[in-house]
Amino acid sequence: MIERLGNRLKERRTKLGLTQGQLADLCLVSRKTINTVENGVFVPSTLLALKLAAALGVSVEQLFWIDR
Amino acid sequence: MSYRERADFDRPTAESVQRTRRSSIWLIPVVILQQSTLIFRHDVDTFSQLLGAICWTALTVAELWWLLGLPFRWLSERDQAILNDEWSRSVSGDAARWGIATAALVGCGMMIARIWVQLDAGIAIYALVNSALFVAVGRYWWLDRDQPDEDD
Repeated sequence: MIERLGNRLKERRTKLGLTQGQLADLCLVSRKTINTVENGVFVPSTLLALKLAAALGVSVEQLFWIDR
Repeated sequence: MSYRERADFDRPTAESVQRTRRSSIWLIPVVILQQSTLIFRHDVDTFSQLLGAICWTALTVAELWWLLGLPFRWLSERDQAILNDEWSRSVSGDAARWGIATAALVGCGMMIARIWVQLDAGIAIYALVNSALFVAVGRYWWLDRDQPDEDD
């Protein structure tokens, strides 16, 4: 069974009116990192997941989940 | 439109370094070709040998620059963090794995080929090192090939 990391990054980001670049600046990563995480290309570390959740004002569980 | 402070005008930023990384990859094969015409020619004059050695060093520095994540002191902490973020480290790691795999394959190929062909040690090292570097940089370029649009 293939497991993927689902996320609500784009949904939450656009709700807050943030661009990928602005979110990247908040988390001190490149915009490409945000883009690849949003598109499911790249699985972030726990540290980055926590930073993203904090920047978007939600818990990690609300932002990420395992797609089975 | 925003303007940068005069004092910062000439300093590199994370964004400018990322653009350079993406746009200057074509230089690598050119430098490798240039090296190959000079570095193993012991019969040339001192200047040409020196030039070959400089080419070799320049390529090595360029490769390290790409693969090791640019620990440049003149970049701000923010820029260093962006250039060494998880995506960059992941891409560098993947590229390094491809380079090592290439070195193993080319080394194996040479060991088999030497049964039939007499290999010059210098040329063999040149081929082994540069094939590994070439594949590693190519892989890096492929994975980091373009800056996606904002919501792509």
